[in-house]
Amino acid sequence: MSVVELQNVSRWYGNVVAVNDISMTLQPGVTGLLGPNGAGKTTVLHMMAGFLSPSRGTVTIDGKPTWRNPSIYRSLGLVAEREAVHGFLTAREFVTACAKMQKLPDPTAAATRALEMVEMTDAQDRRIETFSKGMRQRARVAGALVHEPQVLLLDEPFNGMDPRQRMHMMDLLHALGDQGHTILFSSHILEEVEQLSGLVQVIVAGRLAASGDYRRIRRLMTNRPHVFALQSSDDRRLAVALIGEKSVSGVEIEPGGLTVRASDYGSFTRALPRIALGEGIRLRRLLPSDESLESVFSYLLEA
Amino acid sequence: MSEAGVIHDIGYQRYQGPRLGRGAVLGALYTHGLRAAFGLGRSAKSKIFPWGVAGIVLLIAVINAGVRSQTGTWLFDYYQLDNTMSWLVIFFVAIVAPELVSRDIRSGVLPLYFSRPLRAADYVIAKVAALVTAVWLLLGVPQFVMFLTGAFTTKTGMKGVWHELGLLIPGWGYSLLWALIFTSISLLIASLTGKRAFAAGGIVAVFLMTAPVVGVLSVLPSDTAHHLAGLASPIALINGVEIWLRNRTDLGLDIGDLGPIYGIEAFCLIAACLLLLLARYRKVASL
Amino acid sequence: MTIIATQALTKTYGGGVTALSDLTVEVDAGVIGLVGANGAGKSTFIKIMLGLIAPSSGGVRVFDTDPVTETDKVRARVGYMPENDCLPPDVSASEFVTHVGRLSGLPKTAARERASEALRHVGLYEERYRQIGGYSTGMKQRVKLAQALVHDPDLLLLDEPTNGLDPAGRDAMLTLVHRIGTEFGISVVVCSHLLGEVERICDSLIAIEGGRLLRADRISSMTAASDVLAVEVSEGTDELAEVLRGLGFAVTPEGRLLLVPLESDAAYDRILQAVAELDLPLHRLDQRRHRVAELFTTKETADV
Repeated sequence: MSVVELQNVSRWYGNVVAVNDISMTLQPGVTGLLGPNGAGKTTVLHMMAGFLSPSRGTVTIDGKPTWRNPSIYRSLGLVAEREAVHGFLTAREFVTACAKMQKLPDPTAAATRALEMVEMTDAQDRRIETFSKGMRQRARVAGALVHEPQVLLLDEPFNGMDPRQRMHMMDLLHALGDQGHTILFSSHILEEVEQLSGLVQVIVAGRLAASGDYRRIRRLMTNRPHVFALQSSDDRRLAVALIGEKSVSGVEIEPGGLTVRASDYGSFTRALPRIALGEGIRLRRLLPSDESLESVFSYLLEA
Repeated sequence: MSEAGVIHDIGYQRYQGPRLGRGAVLGALYTHGLRAAFGLGRSAKSKIFPWGVAGIVLLIAVINAGVRSQTGTWLFDYYQLDNTMSWLVIFFVAIVAPELVSRDIRSGVLPLYFSRPLRAADYVIAKVAALVTAVWLLLGVPQFVMFLTGAFTTKTGMKGVWHELGLLIPGWGYSLLWALIFTSISLLIASLTGKRAFAAGGIVAVFLMTAPVVGVLSVLPSDTAHHLAGLASPIALINGVEIWLRNRTDLGLDIGDLGPIYGIEAFCLIAACLLLLLARYRKVASL
Repeated sequence: MTIIATQALTKTYGGGVTALSDLTVEVDAGVIGLVGANGAGKSTFIKIMLGLIAPSSGGVRVFDTDPVTETDKVRARVGYMPENDCLPPDVSASEFVTHVGRLSGLPKTAARERASEALRHVGLYEERYRQIGGYSTGMKQRVKLAQALVHDPDLLLLDEPTNGLDPAGRDAMLTLVHRIGTEFGISVVVCSHLLGEVERICDSLIAIEGGRLLRADRISSMTAASDVLAVEVSEGTDELAEVLRGLGFAVTPEGRLLLVPLESDAAYDRILQAVAELDLPLHRLDQRRHRVAELFTTKETADV
C-alpha cells in the first residue's frame, strides 16, 4: 500500500506561482490529473517524483519525503511526457538497463516480465528508433514498471497511441490499480480519463479545484442546474407538465426533443417517472447532458 | 438611405480568381528569399549584418572612387575589388545562406511548401537565384559606383564612358562568377543542418581550411602541383579562372597553361553543388 | 460524389516495411475520420494523396485525378495541416499565411485578402500581427488550419488537429472543423486517435490497421442503435434489477447501468413503472448505441 500525500504544497519560480497551496491524498487505484495547459500538472508530477522540491509544504509517499530521497525510487516509477530514449537500444536492452539501474537481483527476468506486461514481447528486439510513438511510450512504461513500483506516475501516457494500444494500456493500468498500486496519470483527453478512472484531481492555474469521483463532484455543483435531454411520445405535453414541477427551472422544446434544466437533481429524477406515467406519456430517452467529465471540467474552469 | 436593416454575408467565400502557375510560385519564393537575405520584412536585428557588410563594401568602393577622381587611377580595379572583399563575401554568405535554407529546415516548414504546387527543383532554383542575386548585388553595386566615378571623371567624353563600361561589364561577370561559386557551396552546406550557427561555422570552415592547401601545394617542387594549387580553394579557383580568361599575371597565382582546367573545375563545382542540393531537397520533399 | 478512390493501393518501403497493403476504399464528400495505427499507415496515405510519394502498386484518384501524374492539379485543390510543428517563429501569422498563399499560386493581392479572411474564419484576430513564436498551441494549430484554407481547397487533410490542445481548445477546434465540413462546403479528412472526436464530427470513417483496411463505413451505421435498453438509477440499482427480473426481463448489470433487452415498446413503460413504484431517482434511460471503439476490441462484442 502506498499513499501519496501533498500537504499545503506550493511551488514558485520567481514571481510565477506554478502550484498554489495544494493538498491532496492519493490512495491505491487509478486517479486522473486534469487541468488546462500550464495549470501545473507536470510540476505536481515532478514534485511527486522527487525531481523538484516544493517551495513550501511537504510531498510524501507513505510519510517519507520524495525530495532528496533516492530510496524512494524503489517504490516509484515515472513516465514523463518528454523523454528521449536512446534510439539505438532495443526495447529489451532499454528495459534491462532500467532494471540494472534499479539494482534488481535478476534484471533480465524483470525486463522480460515488464515487457510482457505491456505486450511488447514480439517487438522487444527491435531498435527503439524504429518504433512508432505509441510503441515508444509502451517501452518507457515497461522501463518504469520493471522494478514493480508501488506508485506509478504518468504524464500524458496515451500520447500518440492508436485505439488498440490505448485500450491495452488502459487495461494494464486498471489491472495494476486493482492490485493495489497507486497510479496517477495526467491527460488532456477527457474521454480517456472518463474511461479509465472516475477519480480525478483537477488543477486550475496552480490551485486544486476539485478532487474525487467526478460524478459526485457534479452533484456538488448545486448552483448549476442539471441539464437533461428527453425524448418522449408527446414532448410538448410533457413539457407543460414538467414546467409545473418545482424542481424544474427551465424547459426548451427542440425538434429532437426536450432540454430540461433541473435545479434539484434528487427531486427531479424521482418526479419525472411519476409525471410521465401520470400523463400517460411514454418516456423513450433520458440522457444527462452535462454529467460528462468534459462538462464538469468546463464548469470547474469557470468557477 | 434605406431603413431596413441588412446583415451582410461575410461567411466563407470560395475563390474564383486566377491561379498562377509554377513560374509565379517560383518568383514569389525568389523575392521572398531575396528580401530575407537583406532582412527586409523582418526584425531590425536581421538587417544589421547584411546591410553592414554591404555598407562596408560600398564604403571601400566609394573610397576607391574618391582616389580615382583625385589621382586618376584606381586603388584597385573591378576585379581586385572582388578579390579584396573575399572575406567579407564569405561572412555574408555564411550568415545569409543559413537564413535562406537552414531556417526552413529548423522550423519544419518544408512540408507546407512541398504540399503545394512547388517542386524540389523550384525551391532550389528560387533559393539559388535569390542568393546569387544578393551576392551579385553586394559586389555589383559598388562596382557600379566605381563605374559612375570613372564615367564622370573621364576626360575623353563618351568614348571614355564606353571604355569604362567595357571594363564594368566583365567586372560584373566576374562578380557573377563569385556569386555562383559562393552560393553553390554555402547553400549546399547550409542545407545540411537546421542550426544556423553550425551552418555558418561550416561554411567559414570550408573556406578557411582550403586556403592553406593552396599554400602548401604552391611550395611543392613539382611544377604541375604549383600550377594546380589554385584548384584547392574556391577563392583561388576564381582567381585562376580570371587569370585564364584575362591573361593576367599579377594576381599572385601561377597557373601556367592549365587555365582551362580551372574553368572546367569551376563549372563542375557549381554544377555538382547544385545537383547535390537538388538531390537533398528531392529527398526532403517526400516528407 | 466520390472525392477519393483507391484501388488495391500498396506501398512498401525498402527494407520490407509495408506501410499500406491492398487498400481499396471510396470516400464520399463530407467529414471523414481516418483512424488507426500511428506512423506508417495514415501518414503514407496522406503523402500518396498529395503526390509526394508514388504507390508501389495499385491506384489512387483524388477528385478523379491521379496525384502521381497530375500532382499540381491535385495539390491546388487540397489543403494540408501537418501534425508536427511547422511554423517559423519569427514571422507574424498574417505574413506567413499570405506567403504560403502566394506559394499556392494566388496573386499577391488575392493572397493577402484570402489570408486575412482565413485567419478570421479560424478565429485569430489581433494576434495575427504578432510573431508566431509567441503563440499558444491552440493559436498555432489555428494558423496551420488557416494556411491550409488560404487557397480555397476542396479537400482538407488534417493530421491530428487537436494534438496538444487542452479540452477547451479541443472543443473549439472540433467545432471549427465541423463548421468547415458542413457550412463551408469543403470536405475534410481528419486523422485522429480519439474515437470520441471522430464520432462527434465525422460522417464516415476509414479505419486502417497494419496498413490494411479494417473498416470503411458511415458513422451512422457504426453507431446504430442496438436492441438493448440501458437504465441507470442513482440509487437502488440492485432493487430495480430484482423487480425487473421479477417482471420477466433478462437484466444484465454493467457498472452502474442495467441492460435490458428491448423486445417491444411496452418495455419502456414497464421499466418506468418499476422505477416510479420504487421511488428511485431515474438518471438515464437510453437505447444503447454501438460505438466506434468496438471495431478495435479483439473480440466482437455482440449487441452491446
